[in-house]
Amino acid sequence: MKSVPEKQQDRTATAGSARQIRLREQLTKAVFFCTASFAVIVVAFILLFLLRDGYPIFAAEGILPFLLGPSWAPTAVEPQYGIFPLIAGTLLVTLGAMVFAVPLSIGCAIYIAELASPRVKSILKPAIELLAGIPSVVYGFFGLIVLTNFIRVTFDLPSGETWLAASVLLGIMALPTIISVSEDAITAVPREYREGSLAIGATRWQTISQVIVPAALSGIAAAIILGIGRAVGETMAVLMVAGNAAIIPEPIWNILSPVRTLTGTLGIEMGEVAVGSDHYSALFGVAVVLLVITLIINLSAVAILRHLHEGRTARPGKKPLIPSHISDGIITIVKAAFLVLLLILLLAATPWYVAVLIITLAGAWYYGRDRLSRGQIETISFGLIVASAIIVLAILIIILQDIIINGLPALSWEFLTQPPRDLGREGGIFPAIVGTLYLVTGAILIALPLGVGAAIYLVEYTREGRITRIIRTGVDLLNGTPSIVFGLFGFAFIVLYLNAGVSMIAGQITLALMVLPTIIRTTEESLKSIPQSLREGSLALGATQWQTISQVVIPPAVPGIVTGAILSIGRAAGETAPIMFTAVVFSQRFLPDSVYDPVMALPYHLFILATNVPGSATNKYGTALVLLLLVVGFYAVAILIRTHFQKKIRG
Amino acid sequence: MSESAIITTQDLNLWYGGKHALQSVSMHIPKNRVTALIGPSGCGKSTLLRCFNRLNDLIDHVKITGEITLDDENIHDRKTDVVSLRKRVGMVFQKPNPFPKSIYDNIAFGPRVHGVRNKTDLDRIVEESLKRAALWDEVKDRLHDPALALSGGQQQRLCIARTLAVEPEVILMDEPCSALDPIATAKIENLIDMLKEDYTVIIVTHNMQQAARVSDYTGFMYLGKLIECGKTVQIFEHPKEELTENYITGRFG
Repeated sequence: MKSVPEKQQDRTATAGSARQIRLREQLTKAVFFCTASFAVIVVAFILLFLLRDGYPIFAAEGILPFLLGPSWAPTAVEPQYGIFPLIAGTLLVTLGAMVFAVPLSIGCAIYIAELASPRVKSILKPAIELLAGIPSVVYGFFGLIVLTNFIRVTFDLPSGETWLAASVLLGIMALPTIISVSEDAITAVPREYREGSLAIGATRWQTISQVIVPAALSGIAAAIILGIGRAVGETMAVLMVAGNAAIIPEPIWNILSPVRTLTGTLGIEMGEVAVGSDHYSALFGVAVVLLVITLIINLSAVAILRHLHEGRTARPGKKPLIPSHISDGIITIVKAAFLVLLLILLLAATPWYVAVLIITLAGAWYYGRDRLSRGQIETISFGLIVASAIIVLAILIIILQDIIINGLPALSWEFLTQPPRDLGREGGIFPAIVGTLYLVTGAILIALPLGVGAAIYLVEYTREGRITRIIRTGVDLLNGTPSIVFGLFGFAFIVLYLNAGVSMIAGQITLALMVLPTIIRTTEESLKSIPQSLREGSLALGATQWQTISQVVIPPAVPGIVTGAILSIGRAAGETAPIMFTAVVFSQRFLPDSVYDPVMALPYHLFILATNVPGSATNKYGTALVLLLLVVGFYAVAILIRTHFQKKIRG
Repeated sequence: MSESAIITTQDLNLWYGGKHALQSVSMHIPKNRVTALIGPSGCGKSTLLRCFNRLNDLIDHVKITGEITLDDENIHDRKTDVVSLRKRVGMVFQKPNPFPKSIYDNIAFGPRVHGVRNKTDLDRIVEESLKRAALWDEVKDRLHDPALALSGGQQQRLCIARTLAVEPEVILMDEPCSALDPIATAKIENLIDMLKEDYTVIIVTHNMQQAARVSDYTGFMYLGKLIECGKTVQIFEHPKEELTENYITGRFG
């Protein structure tokens, strides 16, 4: 038992510390606000430095001549800096990729959302996540060895490095994005629509094609836009297979012509340019154009998805984003676009029998459509849908089996523990493995506190308002920035301006900036999934906000945060473009002594082996396999953690 | 039962996974009459209703035994085409569920999927259906507005019109007024009264006054069993079973 005076003393003691507590709370909040503003600051810095280094070329050439100039010849005696062929190349490659990817992805998404049994779904969904996890340099490697060869032989060309190859490869890489976002949109269509349509006696196909897909149209549109963003911003894969001649195909539908994209130009030329020259400045101009294009694309997709999400929480009676007469218009435009594409395909089809086949099929469909019964149409449509799912799965299997079968013989103790010899033809990849691990560890150590802090600020400390909107937009912009642009920024800001040199720390920071949005997003999601009643319960007991966050909210959110972190590690481990100019060297016998030394890294090693070192087939495949296993391993761990804790929560 | 039956169930059992949701239900649904299914929540009345157009097929792990015949054809027969069954047996849901399309396109959806392409035919069907659903006067000037802009009661009448547009023989109504205000409810009830001239209506309701008002026949269900079934007047005034009497007099439920 305490005596009375002691008790009073107690009370004054708490009153004294109450002020301290309040101060501490405000300080914590301020710290979290700083971490949250970081994303916005980074975006501003990226823009600032790209413009700073790109400005001279805009000033010297003028904006319009730079954008529309017909010739890109920076190393000619009289250098020419017109990026029109590069913009055209980017657009053509992206267009081709979408022609390939959109029908396949939508078919596959419909299959997963509407037709697949739970068992098939449980195979297909991880398969598509796996497809998303393959590093772009591995795609490029596969494209360079298998795809371009296939095209070269099939069309009897001197080289298979073409627009077609780049489009197919980019299409494959865009598949997972489009499939997963469209599948979400289709699954989110209210069950009542489905039942209403079936109850009238519509067939399943009629229900899908006339009710469900139109209702999911905005989501599918956003999925396609995101896929376009992915394709426009991709560097390594496209630069390895596109042929990279800065020309506009002649004639314009010649899909067997080589092309060069904006990203490819940066990837090829940035490493060899003299800092401060016109050429250097022109490359930053290219980066500015690229950034603007991708930001517009990504922000429009984000706007559509956000509107959808709001609409879902405030149903019904809310007007749809796309009024029905406009969505009918969109469908008409899409149909017309497909007709035009069909025409282009016809013109491009070199063997005449392909053209005949296309015409026959189109004609048969057009005239046969009304004569077929509903059941027959349903059978045909479901056949096509199942076929698209099978094709997607087959693509994954082909890529994996090629790399595994050819890579396995290279795997040996020596390969994993020795430094490379003879330009990587002999010896192992030990320094590259260690370098990659160093890079991703450093990146995650930098990005994790910043990202988690930003997410805590966004979810716990503010209401939705102007500040959160600005921060969210910053995060979205960062998320949509192509990885090569991060590479350029890292080079201009960290390597040159901060004078860090080509060093491990420069690569770590660049990678950290790149994975920051992923960490913020996943942390936000897992914080939001903690029920409000827990917070209220804690606050009602007199806990401060920070006590509530640190002791009640964060512990159950840890699995989600860890999952996000590991996914980011996986992504960072597979990236080439951001470290290419900031951190890596091709050959180094020894491990780095400090963070200011350059390192070797697996993706870059694979890139150089594949493009610059002839006759190292076994070691190429071995490197690709190790990189693939490493990245997929990270993803697998993340997925295991996720499912483990999901089960635990369900009980 | 004196009147001719359009739907007959014989010893119908249904399981959701391990749950025995319908237990040995045998009943007749008379043609061109309104039959109400009443009973406390979870007694299986909606489940029974969804058997008549096989909408339970959409749910996993459902097992059904016994027989349901529509005009002497077993609807669970392998030869039965679910799609044409649903054309003959229309359904109106608890919550109005218009598609996110225009009013016109909502009504025309059914005829279109069943192959009507001609614009004049479609116009005529839309107009007739809306008139029969007593909605025409309210929407005739804005047929191309989005259906979601209508009020709840109008949306439900739109859904009824949508059902009528495919000219079913039977209309299933699953608590069609539970999401509506009293005025909208009265309109729907009047409509049901008019509909029985041409259609057979089966309505699930938890509102006994409604059952008494609109139906000719009533089936009382309890815990998955059909306890009693007969003329509405008889069920409400002289129930044979004690359970029915207890429920109707409000002693439980």
